[in-house]
Amino acid sequence: MTTPDSTTSTPVDSIDSAAAPWRSPKWTAVSSFGVFALILPLVLLRFGAGTFMVHLLITFFLWSVVAQSWNLVLGVSGIYSFAQIALFAVGGWFTGVLSMSYGWNPWLSLALAPIVTTVAALIIGLPSLRLRGVYVVLLTLAFHELLRNYVTNGPRVISGGGYGLIGVPRLDFGPFSGFSHLVPSYYLALGFFVVATFSIWWVFQSPIGVAFAALRDSEGYAVGRGIDQFRIKLFLFGFSAFFTGLAGGLMTHYLGSISQSIFAFSVLINVLAMIVIGGWGSFGGPILGTALLLGLQEGLRDLSDFRTLVLGLALASVAVLAPSGLWPKMRDGFRNFLDESPDVEDESEEGRDLLADPGDGSEHGRGAQSAAPG
Amino acid sequence: MSELLQASWGGVLAGSVYGLMAIGLTLIWGAVRLLNLAHGALYVAGAYAAWTVINIGLPLAVGIPVAVLAAGILGYGMHVTVIRPMLGRPGWDSASIIATVGVAIALQAATLLVFGPRVKQIPAVIPGSTVVSSVRISYQGLVIVLVAVVSLVALFLYLRSSRQGMAIRAISQHMDAAALMGVPVHRTYALVMIISAGLAGLAGVLLSSVLFLSPTSGFTPMIIALLVTIFGGLGSVKGTIVAAYLIGILESSVQVYLGGAWALPVLFLFIIFMLIVRPSGLFGVPEAQRL
Amino acid sequence: MILEVEGLEAGYGPATVLHGLDLTVSEGEGVVVLGPNGHGKSTLLRAISGILTPTAGTLRFTGQEITAWRADEIATAGLVHIPQGDALFGEMTVHDNLLMGSFVKAAWEQRHERIERVYELLPQLKSRYNLLASNLSGGERRMLAIGRGLMADAKLLMIDEPSLGLAPLLIEQVYEQIQAIKESGLAILLADENADHISGLADRVFLLESGLFVREGPAEALLADEALLAAYLG
Repeated sequence: MTTPDSTTSTPVDSIDSAAAPWRSPKWTAVSSFGVFALILPLVLLRFGAGTFMVHLLITFFLWSVVAQSWNLVLGVSGIYSFAQIALFAVGGWFTGVLSMSYGWNPWLSLALAPIVTTVAALIIGLPSLRLRGVYVVLLTLAFHELLRNYVTNGPRVISGGGYGLIGVPRLDFGPFSGFSHLVPSYYLALGFFVVATFSIWWVFQSPIGVAFAALRDSEGYAVGRGIDQFRIKLFLFGFSAFFTGLAGGLMTHYLGSISQSIFAFSVLINVLAMIVIGGWGSFGGPILGTALLLGLQEGLRDLSDFRTLVLGLALASVAVLAPSGLWPKMRDGFRNFLDESPDVEDESEEGRDLLADPGDGSEHGRGAQSAAPG
Repeated sequence: MSELLQASWGGVLAGSVYGLMAIGLTLIWGAVRLLNLAHGALYVAGAYAAWTVINIGLPLAVGIPVAVLAAGILGYGMHVTVIRPMLGRPGWDSASIIATVGVAIALQAATLLVFGPRVKQIPAVIPGSTVVSSVRISYQGLVIVLVAVVSLVALFLYLRSSRQGMAIRAISQHMDAAALMGVPVHRTYALVMIISAGLAGLAGVLLSSVLFLSPTSGFTPMIIALLVTIFGGLGSVKGTIVAAYLIGILESSVQVYLGGAWALPVLFLFIIFMLIVRPSGLFGVPEAQRL
Repeated sequence: MILEVEGLEAGYGPATVLHGLDLTVSEGEGVVVLGPNGHGKSTLLRAISGILTPTAGTLRFTGQEITAWRADEIATAGLVHIPQGDALFGEMTVHDNLLMGSFVKAAWEQRHERIERVYELLPQLKSRYNLLASNLSGGERRMLAIGRGLMADAKLLMIDEPSLGLAPLLIEQVYEQIQAIKESGLAILLADENADHISGLADRVFLLESGLFVREGPAEALLADEALLAAYLG
């Protein structure tokens, strides 16, 4: 890592490889997962509970993309946006209304949904992203509530009299549909999950991802190095909205409906919990978190209030005891177990200090003086 | 004309309640830079404590102090188990939001388990109402305004001239300097938390006596309180009080002239506008919150 | 011996700034620590007053061991630190800032008398008593910081760079005030960047370089050694 005293100002595009080593995905792991995922539904459907399991997997794929996208905004670049569910709803409602009430081909409205959502995100983002911290929370929550109000009380074609959209046409899979839409939906969701996850992974590895992490860890330093905060945040916000909107659209067509219950505080909290408990700011965290939370939801299905209590306590405990979430702990544990050497780039440790320079004492007298707390 | 008066009275009433609800939030933010998203749960906890007191036959006059006490204790508990361990750690901004949200959901769920989902009512201290120049004024409304105004004034004076009150202001402005003056910073945080929670409990009881009470009824008031706090300027006690009444009057006017359904949307749009134009609020110190 | 510092080491995170310092201050004594910027003067004062926790060494104040004490406990014991940059309560008035100086219970009882005395000593504060601290000029802020330090029931007053950022005329006034304070019997520990104005109030001087004391001795001797001072302080 270059020292803060270095006078070369490096534009984002050409960060040298020592600072951002390219992580090669472990291809064996990925391809075996791929094969497994492809044949899974065919296996599961042989069992009685198979239909439900496949449904659960579809839910997992879609929500984990939402969680990952929100994590990019919240955990990686530190934008406290609570507009994610609202954006999900924009995507869902767009494709739902057009295909249901205006006779559009669902594939077409679905294809446009992410674009519309991204535009909405940019509109929300322009005023919000100039603000800091807690102000963004409020502004985005206000948008959330405003949109909730609109889809509940707005024109009939959108609000369905307060009940939402019911009877949204399913996607027509043509020659691929079997008895039900379940299996092709699964493959569609799987494909979406793979593309989205890979794109997000790519962002983590790219110079932009490094810039994000820099912004989060040491804002002053990053800005000093010429990293334009606002444009990057806007890009990221839009990027995350793209996949979220698409997920909303897919979910709406899969379930055939969407209603204002999606705006409930509990939904927001559930997705937030996926990120927090799984691993705030890390790549694998939200995926793990989604799996855990869906598991919790199903496991404690009968004890819904108790489940909420557990969720609340879990959130608070994680924030206090393990703020980076479970994923980094597991990853490090796994790594120690396999005795690999640690990566140069460690994306989730909050203690990482970009200004730390293992030099000699006298250098530090000066540096430490100006970095002194209080 | 009577519409104007009705709107004004409604505004004063709403403003008094919002002021009580929001003042705790602003205090806690000022002292610890904590956005206490569990504040709504504290209202509800206080209200349920009062309800329990009434349920065993005691008058509301006893219920109110019990509500304040119960909420204060919960607030202290929250401080000790969740806030204090996280103080000074990096990542405070996000961790504190998550932690308080977690506490809020846990409290809500616990309330649901203990008291059940059915809506409860807290009876008025003095039932009935009167009509003054064609404006309906309920006695309970008068009680609420009285209690709120007295509490807010008392708090204001406390912060202004008492030793502990000044210490609270000091740690909000410069923590290290306060410590150098001999202010026990962490103990003072706990004090702020207890006061803030107690006020939330008080607001909860009062609010529940005119609306209904259920485990989830704390969320929307908290959002409004947050908006009031931001509008007045995070951390500014004076700003919060002024903002509370302004927003109360705004909401009341919208209700009278446009109808109830418009109240929330107008409020939110107004706040969005405010945040874009002047994020530091009326009296807030613009502490580098723009990029 | 009002303050005894032995083997003090302190720093920020992995960076050690002070590498083992020994220092004493006696009752009524004026001790000055001289050193260029960045060599640890402020760190030394912060480690003594408790804002910073020492990593090694012991601190004793009026016979009690305060090494592990919190900043507010140390202040309550009578060790008052006026930090660099004043550290005023910006949204409080001059009057309130001064009152906060008497926060310690013992001093609080007599705060009204104390504030009258401070107003007598620093009349420019009296005339501005209702202004917010953030609206004061540089010199006035410095005076307020010093006045606030006097409001406490201090046994030892530590001042970090009293002349920093002030116009020359004001610098004179500030050092005169400090000298007056010392002459009234209060022990003083001063951290300073240059030796120009300290001859009136210094009994002993320490030279600090890169977190270590390279010289110490009676003020007269050290301050007279111009060559040393020039070479060292520049």
